[in-house]
Amino acid sequence: MDAWLSWLICGRSRKSSYALLAPAVLWLALFLIIPVACLLELGFLRLGPYGTVVFSLTLSNFSRAIEPRYLEILLRTLGYAGITTLLCLALGFPAAYYLSFRAGRRRELCLAALMIPFWTSCLVALYSWMIILGREGLLNSLLLRSGLIAHPLRLLNTPFSVVLGLAYFYIPFMVLPLYGSLEKLPRQYLEASYDLGAGRARTFFKVTLPLCLPGVVAGCILTFIPCMGDFLTAEFLGGPRTYLVGNLIQNQFLMAQDWPFGAALTSVLLILLVAGLYFYQRVEPQR
Amino acid sequence: MPEPKLTRRQFLALSAVAAAAPAAFALQACDSGSEERVVNFFNWSKYIGPDTLSRFTRRTGIRVNYEEFSDEEAMFAKLRSGARGYDLAIGADYMISRFKGLNLIDPFPSGALRNIGNIDPRFRKTPYDPQDAYTVPYLWGTTGIGFNRQFLPRAPQSWRDLWDPRYQGKISMLDNSRDCVSTALLMLGYPETADDAQLEQAKKLLLSQRPLVKQYNSSTYMDSLITGDVLLAMGWSGDILQACREKPQLDYAIPREGSYLWVDNLILVRGSRHRADTLRLVDYLLEPETAAGIADAVRYATPNRAAMPLLDKSLREDPRVFPGPELSKRLRFHQQLDPATVQAWNELWSDVKVG
Repeated sequence: MDAWLSWLICGRSRKSSYALLAPAVLWLALFLIIPVACLLELGFLRLGPYGTVVFSLTLSNFSRAIEPRYLEILLRTLGYAGITTLLCLALGFPAAYYLSFRAGRRRELCLAALMIPFWTSCLVALYSWMIILGREGLLNSLLLRSGLIAHPLRLLNTPFSVVLGLAYFYIPFMVLPLYGSLEKLPRQYLEASYDLGAGRARTFFKVTLPLCLPGVVAGCILTFIPCMGDFLTAEFLGGPRTYLVGNLIQNQFLMAQDWPFGAALTSVLLILLVAGLYFYQRVEPQR
Repeated sequence: MPEPKLTRRQFLALSAVAAAAPAAFALQACDSGSEERVVNFFNWSKYIGPDTLSRFTRRTGIRVNYEEFSDEEAMFAKLRSGARGYDLAIGADYMISRFKGLNLIDPFPSGALRNIGNIDPRFRKTPYDPQDAYTVPYLWGTTGIGFNRQFLPRAPQSWRDLWDPRYQGKISMLDNSRDCVSTALLMLGYPETADDAQLEQAKKLLLSQRPLVKQYNSSTYMDSLITGDVLLAMGWSGDILQACREKPQLDYAIPREGSYLWVDNLILVRGSRHRADTLRLVDYLLEPETAAGIADAVRYATPNRAAMPLLDKSLREDPRVFPGPELSKRLRFHQQLDPATVQAWNELWSDVKVG
């Protein structure tokens, strides 16, 4: 056993590298590559009676998926995901900064407070938001009672409630990478900057921010991508005007029983996201 | 001032979510051929009496896994995609031809149900199951309008009231092609077998309503009525009458153009490995006391004639649950549509949602 482990770890033989890679490759092939290939294939097939699939090739699902009315939904989703990402950044950066520089002994507690909502079932969270935001919900009752408003505000089933819900779910994806990159930032650099006469603001913009930029980018990508595919938030907290591409896809699979079209829509979304990431990697200056 | 509170229904929803995870594991566990006797029942959420299943288990020792769905198209998609482990499910009248067409259900063995005679003959030899082979009617109801009397000057008379711009942002519509498209056709005076031009008009009508609609929803619209987030909701009789029980200002009406009467049926899922115990459960559900208990709890009408005298008087005499002869004339069954029409309706509905 010991001999085998040291063979595996020391890595003189090419075979040991393969052995290290094998589980991950197998996993990816079984649970990513094969399913995505099936999905792509499904997008080229025809719809049969009662939602069955007929094995005859067609491009019609893809040409339908890029019709303007569906592109409009895609653009709307980009907008929601973008706004949510910006909101998460605006809320998450100060939080991450506090966690890294100020929290001290309270850090563990703060991190737990950040993660606990994330660990609760999203359905429970969505129902709770419905209770909070409803016309006779907690928030409206509080505002009415305090006399700040005379009539209940319309909060639920609006773009506001959808962005709020998305930001609520995905903010840990923003804060954690930011926190990680701020933690890695050597504190001597900041001291050096002060020693050389830079003020707090200048140090922040010239040293702290550029050095944690990879964390900003990672946080934005990690927030943006799941937002693009989210459908539960819009389903529960949204209305007809906040119909997102995730809802459209879910609708094809579960309600309209049109799996080939749903697969084509999913493929288009996947291709756009992968292309976006690839393009970003190309233009990003080498660090 | 309204008190913010967790309504019973919201509490139930929360606890259902909490209970769902272990239930899913249980379903897995009993699939692996354990000795325990069990029936896996795939039904609408909260579509049964509070002690219906525990009484069955106490009497027979057979455990029932009650798995819930909140959308029957999604349920159909799940069974169609080859989900295993379900023994008994619920299928609406208009879905039966689809289940049969894809060989997803088995006929009931003749003579297997002692209590089948309890069913009102009105619900036997139906257009969707002329031989009474595949279905045992479970509950029935109507599609209509739930509304808040406190904020509406008068009860809605017509489906057109759901198109009234005064109620912009206060209207909820069911989220399924079957109810919405057939209602739009009804308003236009067309049958469900409408041609393409008529369907196009129905689509225009539904699209014209879209700016007024707060939500397309089939599972939580009762909560929205209770919380006052919507004042008018297209919905199913029992759902809305359950909401009325919580909030007395709510009421239910069937518009003058008429509406649809639908029947939810018990169906035997093909490939079930617990057939004998499943039939025993169905027979138990057909007992008058059981059927009455279920109807009392969920406020839908029972097709079980023998259960009628046992029903809560308030339920039995409620014309919103059991419409009188005058209203019954305006109610009709959904027709069985061919696969191409079903697809056209689904696409139409998808287009309305897209806007």
